[in-house]
Amino acid sequence: MTRPTTDSVWRIGILFSSTGTTSVIEKSQRNGVLLAIDEINAAGGVNGRVIEPVSYDPGSVPKEYGRLAERLIAEDQVSVIIGCYMSSARKQVLPVIERRNALFFYPTLYEGFEYSPNVIYGGATPNQNSVPLALYLMENYGKNFYFVGSDYIYPRESNRVMRNIVRQGGGAVVGERYLPIDAGADDIQVVLDEIAAKQPDVIFSTVVGEGTVKLYRAYHAAGNDARRVPIASLTTNEAEILEIGPEAAAGHITAAPYFRTIRSVENDRFLASYTRLFGSSSAVTSCCEAAYFQTHMFALALGRTNSLDTGQLRETLLGATFEAPQGVVKIDPDNNHTYLQSRIAKVNDVGEFIVERELIRPIKPDPYLVNPDLNDRNFKLMVTATSDYPQAPASPLAGRRPG
Amino acid sequence: MTDLINDLRSLNVLVLHRRDADCDDLVQQISRIGCNVETVWPLPETLPTNVDVVFVEIKESVPPGMQRLFQDGAMTRPTLIGIIGYENPSVLLGLLDLNVQTVLSKPLRAFGVMSSILMARRIWRQRREDLTNLEKLRLKLENIQIVTEAKFILMRHHGINESEAYKVIRTHAMSRRTSTREIANAIINADGLLNNFQLKK
Repeated sequence: MTRPTTDSVWRIGILFSSTGTTSVIEKSQRNGVLLAIDEINAAGGVNGRVIEPVSYDPGSVPKEYGRLAERLIAEDQVSVIIGCYMSSARKQVLPVIERRNALFFYPTLYEGFEYSPNVIYGGATPNQNSVPLALYLMENYGKNFYFVGSDYIYPRESNRVMRNIVRQGGGAVVGERYLPIDAGADDIQVVLDEIAAKQPDVIFSTVVGEGTVKLYRAYHAAGNDARRVPIASLTTNEAEILEIGPEAAAGHITAAPYFRTIRSVENDRFLASYTRLFGSSSAVTSCCEAAYFQTHMFALALGRTNSLDTGQLRETLLGATFEAPQGVVKIDPDNNHTYLQSRIAKVNDVGEFIVERELIRPIKPDPYLVNPDLNDRNFKLMVTATSDYPQAPASPLAGRRPG
Repeated sequence: MTDLINDLRSLNVLVLHRRDADCDDLVQQISRIGCNVETVWPLPETLPTNVDVVFVEIKESVPPGMQRLFQDGAMTRPTLIGIIGYENPSVLLGLLDLNVQTVLSKPLRAFGVMSSILMARRIWRQRREDLTNLEKLRLKLENIQIVTEAKFILMRHHGINESEAYKVIRTHAMSRRTSTREIANAIINADGLLNNFQLKK
């Protein structure tokens, strides 16, 4: 295999699928990384050397992520990798990363209960988004929940946490069903029938990948009104809403650290930069934003260490803060996860997420929290000033506050 | 059993290990899990109070000081998790001597610490429940033996049947606000005394 001399560039591995069931979201994550690299290189690279991405497509097949991580390290001599969406894929990469002592950035929300010194986690853990979402739903829609999820670890664990919070709030889970990752129309019909029979106040969905689009569309086609009984999710994002279409998507709820409609100097700049490189920013997601800020944080750390040594990079990254499009984020030195913003948004009539509630300050990640406490005062929600987005306020806080 | 998982964060954990990188990794992971954790080295004379779980490194031989720390019975002793760097028979013997509930092997990894604590807690709790039940059964068996013996004495002396004899014991116990066991014991003692008097006549 021929490659340019490693002295002239910094190489970083990228493992996001551009084919397969989770390709929609993973493509947006890959774009986030490529955008950050483009910005860094346009500004002269890191200490005079440009960052060169080496990217493979694992095709949404978990085992492929492990094999390609091995290939990135062994053949391409890469020691820093960013990638993975599903936990099953991360679990394949983890042993490779640890054995080779590489550094891995994981820009995706996940179910928690993991720590590896070789991983920097950039997505939300359940304590950062489940409690605010449950509070909001019980306050605005009702206390009878129906759970539907894809059949793997993240949905089951998210539902365990959610079930506990709902019960603390005096609510009930009236039904729970898991669909295969490649769910078809028949599987979804079963869910719709059950929803019709059980009449929940809200549906909590942890369906990921292509199933999401099918579920939302079928829910709409069956005559359900999302304004009355919405589907609430931690994963359904801008790219998926775009595919679902505004008619079927309007009224549904998502909790995430970032939405593309939030108004801040950093986000405006991020979206403009994204549009310049990829033509349109309509499919920008919170996972894309996480991939983007993690790549920038990596580059800043690299600028200080001037070396790709895993230990040096880790020590520099732990405790580092960054003014991300979502607001200030910080890598928690206690557990390698990230302090993140927490927001709840509803899809409006033209298919845009409008932030309804947000937490006042970033939440500390607590990946090993078995059962979050519903009454934890850290989860107090703040109604956003207005659901429409006016000009960014000219205050020193403008960078952190959506409109 | 889910309360074992929910209660993890309320555990007070003690790590008896010299302060090195292994120890730091372990202590950090335990605090990530959310337990209260403390390190003591060298070995203390006595365990701090209110310790629920102790991690202790076991080498070729278990020093007497360590043996003393954990000599309390299973009902009062904290949950013990051994840390080992070797798997040779003398280390294994140490694990058995100290009666640990589970083992972590070196080099220590963050992954697995949580399940080890959980499994050790379950075994520890199961053992305590078993011992409590065993004690209850032993007492019950003893009661039955004593009451049976007293019943036979009454049957012999008064020519009554077994259920009548039991009724006598129970009535006395109720009127004196005591247990059937106490009355039965009194009957047995009295019978013994009377027999002795007869012998000496």
